[in-house]
Amino acid sequence: MTAQIAPTAADLMSEELSTDLSAAALALARRFHSGATLWVLSPEWEPHAHHVAVEFVHPVIMGKRALPAFALTGADPVSEARLATRPGDVILAVAGAEDAGIREVVRRAPAWGAETIWIGFGHRPEPGAANHVLWVDSADPMVPATGRFVLMYHLLWELTHVCFEHPGLLVASTDCTDEVCITCSDEGRLGEVVLAPTEAFAPAIVRTATGEEDVDVTVIGHVSPGDLVLVHAGAALVLLEEVAR
Amino acid sequence: MTDFLYPFIDAQEDDVDELLVDLSASARGKAAESAALQKSSLRELEPSIVACAIAMAERFTAGGRLYTFGNGGSSTDAATLASLFSHPAVGRPLPAWSLAADQAVVTALGNDVGFDLIFSRQVIAHSKPMDIAVAMSTSGNSDDLVTALLEAKRRGLLTIGFAGYDGGRMAELVEAAQLDHCFTIRSQSIHRIQESQARVGHRLWALTQEQMVKTRAIRPTTSGGSR
Repeated sequence: MTAQIAPTAADLMSEELSTDLSAAALALARRFHSGATLWVLSPEWEPHAHHVAVEFVHPVIMGKRALPAFALTGADPVSEARLATRPGDVILAVAGAEDAGIREVVRRAPAWGAETIWIGFGHRPEPGAANHVLWVDSADPMVPATGRFVLMYHLLWELTHVCFEHPGLLVASTDCTDEVCITCSDEGRLGEVVLAPTEAFAPAIVRTATGEEDVDVTVIGHVSPGDLVLVHAGAALVLLEEVAR
Repeated sequence: MTDFLYPFIDAQEDDVDELLVDLSASARGKAAESAALQKSSLRELEPSIVACAIAMAERFTAGGRLYTFGNGGSSTDAATLASLFSHPAVGRPLPAWSLAADQAVVTALGNDVGFDLIFSRQVIAHSKPMDIAVAMSTSGNSDDLVTALLEAKRRGLLTIGFAGYDGGRMAELVEAAQLDHCFTIRSQSIHRIQESQARVGHRLWALTQEQMVKTRAIRPTTSGGSR
């Protein structure tokens, strides 16, 4: 009888999930190494947000370093995360793929310079929704109360601390070929409008991964605070559509 | 196994792929440990989980409420257990609260009467004899939890402890008939203990729900709160 209730090892951790988890742990360790704060949101299952935060702030294993992690549990996850994050921070969400607030947070996170980790279950978010998607492939609605998420963030914490034992690997290699010339290439950086222009042809203040900057918005025309735009060479070229909140 | 688990043996650190392979293997190994512990814990504890669920269903049927509490990560697991009872995705919602949830109450008690009494004072304030108290701990030894469980037992509540290692003081209290149930997860790892405790808590909830369906439990709508 209990055989059906107890999960197998393969149920708990597939090859794919262990690969995703490892990549997330290394990314998180690198971000912490560079001074990141971890922000944790779980609008529907708030205790999980607190559990992740206490895991990092007050490690269960003596001698492991305390790391800055906060649970954000206010009513509006977007405005809380927007205010909290600094470029280089990490946002971790424990939420279903359909959670409107979390969808909006991970969509905007690149404009805030934050890397995102999304833990959940059921159907997965669309590819690329977050930097790291750590998913329990089960549609059982009881998953959040069975310890599956607890295992996931326990392992994330454990693997992150293993990474700290390899200081040589905590800095991403510098011969990375992803770098492109921002002015000459077609790169569009995600930006979030902070302040609309105060007069015609004046720039808007736009927040991007590197901080706030003046951005020409004459191509788009009218913008409002909170609008997401693609910024290229100092100008906003595209206004991204509003997603239903 | 490679040198990556023994970092100082190998001074050359430039192989990220090797680290990632080791991390993945480590994740699967720990998940396998967790799965094995969950299975053995459920097998060992099943008879007492059944007995405890029957007693909980009786209490809920009599109008009882569930109070859960713990410290640190266990306080969050206790809150998850309370919301499993009160807001289940399927099944019948039952009244349950986490006593760590209110920072005004917790800090007022911690500051004025001492940390060891943060939960027992709330048990005194809130509880009726038909209620249920669940304390979640990995050691089974925390003073604030043991004090609250003893207070609850004195007041007639059904008292339940979750522990790890060898069960600590909670296991001793069961022996001395001062605690009704203790679910001890036999492991030395706080993380693996908490994962199995969640599994046992979920089983306890499922059996409580089953029992209430089986007995077609009718809960009183008026207060049954005579002392």
